Amino acid sequence: MTRPTPKEIKPIAQIAGVPVDDEIATRISNSIGPAFEGFAAIAGTLPFDLEPALYPIAQVTKVSK
Amino acid sequence: MSLEPALMTLTEVARAIAMKQVSSHEVTRALLHRIAQWQPHLNAFMSIEAESALKAAEAADAALAKSNVRGPLHGVPLAHKDMYYDAGKVSTCGSLIRRDFVPTVTSTALQRLKDAGQVRLGTLHLAEFAYGPTGHNHHYGPVRNPWNVAHITGGSSSGSGSAVAARLTYAALGSDTGGSIRMPAHFCGVTGLKTTVGRVSRAGAMPLSQSLDTVGPLARTAEDCALLLALMAGADPADSTCSHEPLSDYVAATKGSLKGLKIGVPTSFYVDDLDSEVARVLDETIAVLKREGADIVKVELPDQRQLSSASQLVLAAEAAAFHKRWMIERPQDYGPQVLMRLQNGLAVPAITYLEAMRWRGPALAAHNTATAGVDAVIAPASPVPAPTIEESDVGGGPSAPAMVQRLTLFTRPVNFLGLPSLTIPSGFTKSGLPVGMQLIGRSFDEATLLTIGAAFQRVTDYHDRLPKLPS
Repeated sequence: MTRPTPKEIKPIAQIAGVPVDDEIATRISNSIGPAFEGFAAIAGTLPFDLEPALYPIAQVTKVSK
Repeated sequence: MSLEPALMTLTEVARAIAMKQVSSHEVTRALLHRIAQWQPHLNAFMSIEAESALKAAEAADAALAKSNVRGPLHGVPLAHKDMYYDAGKVSTCGSLIRRDFVPTVTSTALQRLKDAGQVRLGTLHLAEFAYGPTGHNHHYGPVRNPWNVAHITGGSSSGSGSAVAARLTYAALGSDTGGSIRMPAHFCGVTGLKTTVGRVSRAGAMPLSQSLDTVGPLARTAEDCALLLALMAGADPADSTCSHEPLSDYVAATKGSLKGLKIGVPTSFYVDDLDSEVARVLDETIAVLKREGADIVKVELPDQRQLSSASQLVLAAEAAAFHKRWMIERPQDYGPQVLMRLQNGLAVPAITYLEAMRWRGPALAAHNTATAGVDAVIAPASPVPAPTIEESDVGGGPSAPAMVQRLTLFTRPVNFLGLPSLTIPSGFTKSGLPVGMQLIGRSFDEATLLTIGAAFQRVTDYHDRLPKLPS
């Protein structure tokens, strides 16, 4: 996963109902882009059966020392 | 115990009022006197409600005279971050958009403190919609650091950090979504407890990110944080995400010893590229903990940058969703920095957001495995002491955005994992700015963090030191 380009951001924002111009799209790309890059190693690698609901279970699962 | 009422800790003043050694009216007057002196320098309060506070204090004294005690905070004046709804009272959320917003409900956390007898002193400043790590606010001006008013307080609980440090309130509620309790605690030299996700109800607290938001106190001591957590924690029918996990005796936990506790020191990330004075304070803190009986061990944590990235993606998407309507209808009413942060969420596709949320469970499990056998992990709350207001103003220079990003480097991973973290005053720089360390615990194990924090505070005096009123 790479950072979204300004060209990619504009239609996403349009669909979200909050259209942005080129300048804002460029600024967004530069600002949130590093988070996409930081998450790249995880994106697309998660097993099929993994649900967000497993998080509260992980919260209370005891790990032996 | 201090003889000056305003300088007592929350625990001390609550006890002194209960034992009729001092009246609620006296302590409220003492705080109002300090507020009048400090507020022009700090801008920590959003509203100061002197008349009604004194009336409420008188009523508390009258009730006490008849042995009608409401609870452990009977007659104790407190002010909180102006995002905890109090039905019928304006809650600005630090914004222009909600400048006149009057909620019809009271937040559960606040209601529990009211039920315990607190007196409302006013409300405290914050970053606009709690979305900013420095303490800047485009609409209401920056909050200033009592230790040096040219420096930031950290945010978003900027008023909470500043007011507690200057002894203008005995404690204050903050909220922590990306570091908003721990950074003001670190920069202002107070104790701040970010609670486990689900430990304290978020009902009636202004939302920023439903997955990451946590409610917690800033106070002078770990003991004071324990007192407030004991009152606020626990399941709430109004917040289905609030956990039914058993509670601990948090106040009793503050009497415990460090002997037998194992504290992990990360081998990387939290010890890399530190400001030299932060590095020194980290070493000194570890030495104190070791001397007091803690077993200090090294821990190799999973990749914290991935956690930080996931945290940013989740926060951006959820915050943009909450604010979408106003982003369309009232974009001009946001401060420029906050609008830009909100717009970042527009670029996060649903699949990316959900991938981050799906990863949260395994990421926490990996952290738990890496820290198995360790009671807490110690790390700086931020790699640097408080920068100046000017140098951290994003409009102020080309290096400012990177600096602001760096401030939250050590807090965001903890938010993604939803872990509790206690920040304690741990030292000062040569120029007199506070430095705080965070103790990162296991889910729902705030008690152990409070044990460590209180034990540290029994043998150090950083939390007792007072900033001087600027001339």
